[in-house]
Amino acid sequence: MDFVLTFLGTLPGAITQGLIWGLMAMGVYVTFRVLSVSDLTVDGTLATGGAVCVILIRAGAPVGAAILIAFLTGLLCGLSTAFLHTKWGIPVILAGILTQIALYSVNLRVMASKANASISVDKYSLLISQRYVRETSLRNPLYFLVIFTVLVIGLLYWYFGTESGSALRATGANPRMARAQGINTDFQITLGLMIANGMVALAGALLAQYQGFADVNMGRGAIVIGLAAVIIGEVLTQKFFINFALKLLAVSIGSIVYFLVLQLVLQLGLNTNDLKLISALIVAVFLAVPHFSKRMKMNQNKGGEKNA
Amino acid sequence: MKHAKRTLSLLIIFSVLFLAGCQNKAPETKGTEEKKQYSIGIVQLAQHEALDAATKGFMDVLNEKFPDQVVFDVQNASGDTTNCTTIVNGFVSKKVDLIMANATPALQAAASATDTIPILGTSVTHYAPALDIEEWTGTVGTNISGTSDLADLKQQAAMIPEWFPDAKTVSLFYCSSEANSAFQVEEVEKHLAELGLETKRFSFTDTNDVASVALAACKESDVIYIPTDNTAASNAEAIANVILPEKVPAIAGEIGLCKGCGIATLTISYEDIGRATGEMAYKILTGEAKVEEMPIEYAPNFEKYYNPTICEQLGITPLEGYKPFED
Amino acid sequence: MLKVQSISKTFHPGTVNANTALDGVSLHLKEGDFVTVIGGNGAGKSTLLNAIAGTFPVDEGGIVLDGTDITRLPEYKRADFLGRVFQDPMMGTAPTMQIDENLALAARRGQKRGLKWGMKKEEQQRYRELLATLDLGLEDRMGIKVGLLSGGQRQSLTLLMATLKKPKLLLLDEHTAALDPRTAPKVLEITEQLVSSQRLTTLMITHNMRDALHLGNRLLMMDGGRIVLDIEGEEKKNLTVSDLLDRFSAASGKEEVSDSLLLSK
Repeated sequence: MDFVLTFLGTLPGAITQGLIWGLMAMGVYVTFRVLSVSDLTVDGTLATGGAVCVILIRAGAPVGAAILIAFLTGLLCGLSTAFLHTKWGIPVILAGILTQIALYSVNLRVMASKANASISVDKYSLLISQRYVRETSLRNPLYFLVIFTVLVIGLLYWYFGTESGSALRATGANPRMARAQGINTDFQITLGLMIANGMVALAGALLAQYQGFADVNMGRGAIVIGLAAVIIGEVLTQKFFINFALKLLAVSIGSIVYFLVLQLVLQLGLNTNDLKLISALIVAVFLAVPHFSKRMKMNQNKGGEKNA
Repeated sequence: MKHAKRTLSLLIIFSVLFLAGCQNKAPETKGTEEKKQYSIGIVQLAQHEALDAATKGFMDVLNEKFPDQVVFDVQNASGDTTNCTTIVNGFVSKKVDLIMANATPALQAAASATDTIPILGTSVTHYAPALDIEEWTGTVGTNISGTSDLADLKQQAAMIPEWFPDAKTVSLFYCSSEANSAFQVEEVEKHLAELGLETKRFSFTDTNDVASVALAACKESDVIYIPTDNTAASNAEAIANVILPEKVPAIAGEIGLCKGCGIATLTISYEDIGRATGEMAYKILTGEAKVEEMPIEYAPNFEKYYNPTICEQLGITPLEGYKPFED
Repeated sequence: MLKVQSISKTFHPGTVNANTALDGVSLHLKEGDFVTVIGGNGAGKSTLLNAIAGTFPVDEGGIVLDGTDITRLPEYKRADFLGRVFQDPMMGTAPTMQIDENLALAARRGQKRGLKWGMKKEEQQRYRELLATLDLGLEDRMGIKVGLLSGGQRQSLTLLMATLKKPKLLLLDEHTAALDPRTAPKVLEITEQLVSSQRLTTLMITHNMRDALHLGNRLLMMDGGRIVLDIEGEEKKNLTVSDLLDRFSAASGKEEVSDSLLLSK
């Protein structure tokens, strides 16, 4: 019973982490699912967003402005990858990796050659902080994040219903057909990469405030968490979440599930050395569920024929 | 039907984890009713010798002072700062009595998560920049205190002309993603300049470019200096494989590094600062002292060591006053 | 309407795989011409269409469409004037988007796509009516994802999309070749309907000589990257398939005619 109570106590923190990374995962969703490209820039962009936000707040900028500028920086990161791909003909995966590598140096520069910059909620008025995640007062980051997530989903849903957004979806669905309908697919890819990376940087800015520091390595493995969130979300909600807005919500849910499982694993006393292995196993199981249910259906059919 | 299958697979996953977890529970205390039980969370950034030693020292002291009264929850973030946040979330939810944060990102995550639970940091070089404190008085003043692994950098710098009087240029070799290393390098740079030596910085990103940057450092200098860098310490063998064939000696900032690739070191003992941290924890838990009044403590002793194997390989005679390792 | 001036295209020039797919091809289409194009494999028919559409730039020559020189325009810009239906029925529509969304995309071909909502209420009504003319029942299923439709349905939809905004030139690249024998004639019927009702200038590649003779007012035969036969009007009406084969041998100097030409009746 004690175990369950303690686990319940960790829920607010885990869910909040899940929501923040969920924003990042939505960016991954835009490139991975809507645009059908694998964008590896995000590992770098997350850290850039965090670094820019922290440095600006420490320099005295208001929090809102810092977050906004972090978002704009993310747009630039996406633009860089898009440029390498559309203008220099580099395959998207490589273009993303190149930008990500370059961003390491950029991030160090942003933080004035320091690998780590802290931002204390005691000194600055941050938008969110893990300090208050267990409180019921309005300071609890959970409220802001839930509302913000809903807003972001709403914004994306609206955008992808517009003419421009539809053109983006067409580009991801069938680039040849899109061009045949007069859509400039290079431009759409650029737009998609920019939007996605803007969101990731935004998530980075929020994450840095939440955890109290920006670190040049904070984005390591971000793409994996993002993809895990997308896939877990899809597998869990495939049948009933068909609407685009709900699909985005599923991404957020997937991210929350990921962090819940992580927290559970920690609480079970499993060796944190094995964390990565366990995360991989969990994602693999989720990925395999559709495959196994297909097999099970096939076996059922075989049985039917035999009995016929 | 699909839902049922999915729920089933989820249940299976969780049950497996549960069973596995049951075998791995943290050690239970068998204390009697009168003795108080303490629960302490230890969040360590990564696995390597120095950090492990500090944790060991910490736990030893507390086990000695509170026999059978302490439950430790030791978690390793495997180098991932995201894990630090998740780990600390668990500690705060559990309402542990004290958190020990081993390394800077762990400390920062803990500081951000709670301002009520006492936090003791260790293996952190400078608390002021780590916690963004402008007017540094030696005491943090909030629920945070701890020990620093700052060695006497002036003395370390002086080792270079001491061991290598003919040396003219020194390479400063460190991992760019470690804030502590950059600080130490800055200080040592200044001291070496005062001693009339030229310096050049060589920073590497991670394990992947350690070897190539080390090679570049060898080509441009007579001696290499490596501070207490976690990544370098994890890759000491790889560094040795590069610099020994090049016959360039290295002065190391700590003992693990020296054992792997260095000639000599003026080191603090990480186990000692771990123990010192344990002593501080004891005082806080018994109410003897208040964490907000405790200043940061530094390593009391420095040890001078030399590496006999490497000295022999490079044909260098060990100096007086330095002890050899007993491997 | 369309002036193709001596265009040439060689793929993989200078290598062992070099292939001169188009060799100085010239062509002049009047407005309203419905031209069928036949020829053996590798004759250059698809290459000609793709060159006009801008899938790749030509090595030499120029293309002028309704007075505008489009030789240097990228593919997506040329799309403003063209309607295209590909051989692969999956190629012309976006499978993850709905039927009405696909049509909405086609309706905006050539326009700047801004932040206005992607589909208006009035449009849906219009699409319903248009889909009804296809007589495939699609007008009742406008909200389903195109990926769920059959090849014939998708191809019909592509045709509709290609002609939604009257194109200056309609390019059909063997668009019934991949369809089953029941659906192919239906799609051809729809094609005829659309072309005649809108008086579209059309260039249609087909492997079927009967169709080539039966449809349109002009017939081109290609071989080895060149146009070897160009027949129109009355002359075309009175030709039979065997006449066509004789004319082909005479024009191309080949005794044997490729199997695909002979076998596609």
